[in-house]
Amino acid sequence: MSVLTPLLAYAGLVPLLTFLSFVLVGFLGNRLKGLEWGGWIAVLLSGAAMVVGTLVAVAEMLSPGQYTDVSYTWLTVPGSPGTFPNGVSLVIGFLVDPLSALMLLVVTIVGFLVMLYSIGYMHHDHGLPRYYAELSLFLTAMTGLVLADNLLEFFLFWELVGVCSYFLIGFYYEKPSAASAAKEAFLVTRVGDVLFLLGIFIYFATYATAGGGAGWAASGFKFANGTQPFLGPLVGTNTPLLTVAGLMILGGAAGKSAQFPLHVWLPDAMEGPTTVSALIHAATMVAAGVYLLAVTSVFLGFTPDDQFAIVAIGGITCFFAATMAVVNTDIKRVVAYSTISQLGYMVLAVGAGVTMVGMYHLFTHAFFKALLFLAAGSVIHAVGTQDLFKMGGLRRTMPLTAGAFLVGALSLSGIFPFAGFFSKDDILGSVFQAAQAHPAYWPFFLLALATVFLTSYYIFRAWFLAFGGPAPRDASLPTAHEGPWVMRVPLIVLSGFAIAAGFFVFDPAFASLLPGAGVPPTYTATDLGLSAVSLGLAGSGIALSYTLWGNGRIAAAPTGIAAQMRTVLLNRYYFKVGYDWIGRRAVYTVARSADFVERYVIDGTIRGFEKLFSRGSDLLRRAQTGIVSDYAGYVVAGLVGVLLLILYVGPAIVQSMGGG
Amino acid sequence: MSAFSPAGLLALSGALLGLGLFGILTRRNFILLLISVEIAINAAVLNFVYFAAFSGSSSALSGQAIAVVLIGLAATEVAVGLAIVLGLNRLRGSINVAEASALRR
Repeated sequence: MSVLTPLLAYAGLVPLLTFLSFVLVGFLGNRLKGLEWGGWIAVLLSGAAMVVGTLVAVAEMLSPGQYTDVSYTWLTVPGSPGTFPNGVSLVIGFLVDPLSALMLLVVTIVGFLVMLYSIGYMHHDHGLPRYYAELSLFLTAMTGLVLADNLLEFFLFWELVGVCSYFLIGFYYEKPSAASAAKEAFLVTRVGDVLFLLGIFIYFATYATAGGGAGWAASGFKFANGTQPFLGPLVGTNTPLLTVAGLMILGGAAGKSAQFPLHVWLPDAMEGPTTVSALIHAATMVAAGVYLLAVTSVFLGFTPDDQFAIVAIGGITCFFAATMAVVNTDIKRVVAYSTISQLGYMVLAVGAGVTMVGMYHLFTHAFFKALLFLAAGSVIHAVGTQDLFKMGGLRRTMPLTAGAFLVGALSLSGIFPFAGFFSKDDILGSVFQAAQAHPAYWPFFLLALATVFLTSYYIFRAWFLAFGGPAPRDASLPTAHEGPWVMRVPLIVLSGFAIAAGFFVFDPAFASLLPGAGVPPTYTATDLGLSAVSLGLAGSGIALSYTLWGNGRIAAAPTGIAAQMRTVLLNRYYFKVGYDWIGRRAVYTVARSADFVERYVIDGTIRGFEKLFSRGSDLLRRAQTGIVSDYAGYVVAGLVGVLLLILYVGPAIVQSMGGG
Repeated sequence: MSAFSPAGLLALSGALLGLGLFGILTRRNFILLLISVEIAINAAVLNFVYFAAFSGSSSALSGQAIAVVLIGLAATEVAVGLAIVLGLNRLRGSINVAEASALRR
């Protein structure tokens, strides 16, 4: 208990503050030219949200492991015997537990810094009220997501961050590439969302009907019952149904966190403003997928089969995305691929059973990746291009940005003592240990280890190309300059986090936000050896990068098989082409056949009946001649018919049936 | 009671009915049509009279009564029919029923 403890019940203020900002900026922004079209309101309110969020996180640190749940029942369905003996209720609430406190810290701090940076970066753009309103709405959705106290509310906010991401990627909607990137991001994550929803249905079917855990539905699918995390009674067993549910959750996480094979949308999402990339597509929303996996593993539990699938996806993704970053020439896309790759590390850790180690990497990654994006944004703001090969020598004109990017790059590469070193090494060490017990994890551990080398190579390639050398290679670039103070301050603050965040975890109070195996890291001789190996790999990556690209050098274009590989990588392993093919051929063929059925079978039947009746009635109509004698003829014919029936046909039938 | 056999009498009324129907189906002149209807009705009247005569004394009266009613009915029918003939003639200048086909469709 501490003086701050009562604050835990008011965590819901955070989304409310940013929602207030959304409403104010959204409705009044057009009249607030003096306040940067409402930008300063958004900065102020997200700053307030940051203060509350940080205080809540501190309160949680001071009462380690406490679960504080404030919830309102929205709707209760009474139980009916048979299917839902205990009934089902829908609940809206805010849960502060160690996990959500950590996420709240990340989201509100990065959110505020990005909002502040936007004031400088977006100054010359049009449609700013829309920008700040959407960014505020995103923060509302994201903080709502991390504070959600039940699975259904989680899904609600999950969809809301998705739609905000769609809006913001498509911010420059008049640019066709941005519009189509927004659509792509929405559709690809939608695939994951549908899987996630199916997973929820399975949990619903498992835990809402008769049998153990049925009370879960009655309590509104809450993650925690009082002070205890809800863990289904079936956890740890390889039930096929639960395994499928876990795989569906993994699918949802893969969509949001851009994991293989749903990774295609994230590089294209760089069409949005760089600030959006920093906040949504580096630090927070894409981490929501990892957060989903963490929440599921803590509160619902994965089956061993699921864990293997998660490890496999994470391991493949981190290597696979890193290879594509190696050849890319767009500064933002290089950083985007590294985001996918780092998310792969987190997924790997969650799958290997060391959830909190993955969350620890999420924490440090949010800062150094936001830093890299904002530094890249600073460069783009100054020179007006994203092409690394046009830049060069920028460290002379933009020393602060060059330094910030360098700090981010060192942290990303996992160089001691930067933040990335501790978390990434912790993941490698934990997965190494997990692999002793589960030999099937070995290939993915090796992929993750190899990625260390690739990571330091590609990020320093980007640094040398942009900042190294004497002068820009493209002489037509404008003379670079540092941005205004609103852009410099976030860079400095984030640099501080990227340097120091790794040490936070050795503080017991902070470590209480990450309760679980592997945090804080302990170092045995094996771990230290592994650290040496990964440091060596990272160092040799930097060295190779320096030999090829340092001092303004341009490496000779590869030839032979290497050139072919480069083409494959630049085309992103043809995944996009493949998905386009699926869209154009497979889906279109299905759609065409459905259209055929619709048009000719269903509509055809109806039109057939319509024709039958219209032709038939046209024929019958001709009987109506209007001539009395004809009608008399019909009457006589009818009379004769009835007489024949009575006198001959009827008796014949009676006789044939054996009657009298 | 008489020289006529029931079969012969029924054949006579059947023949009258057939004659009437033939007239109804083939004539286009409204007046001839009415006369044909009269002939057909009289076939039915004849039947009533025959059967009243054959069925014995107790019910003889009722058959003859119906025959009288039917004759009255035929008279009213002709009265209405002839009124229509007059109206039709005034309207179209013709009493050909094939031309009076305005009720078609």
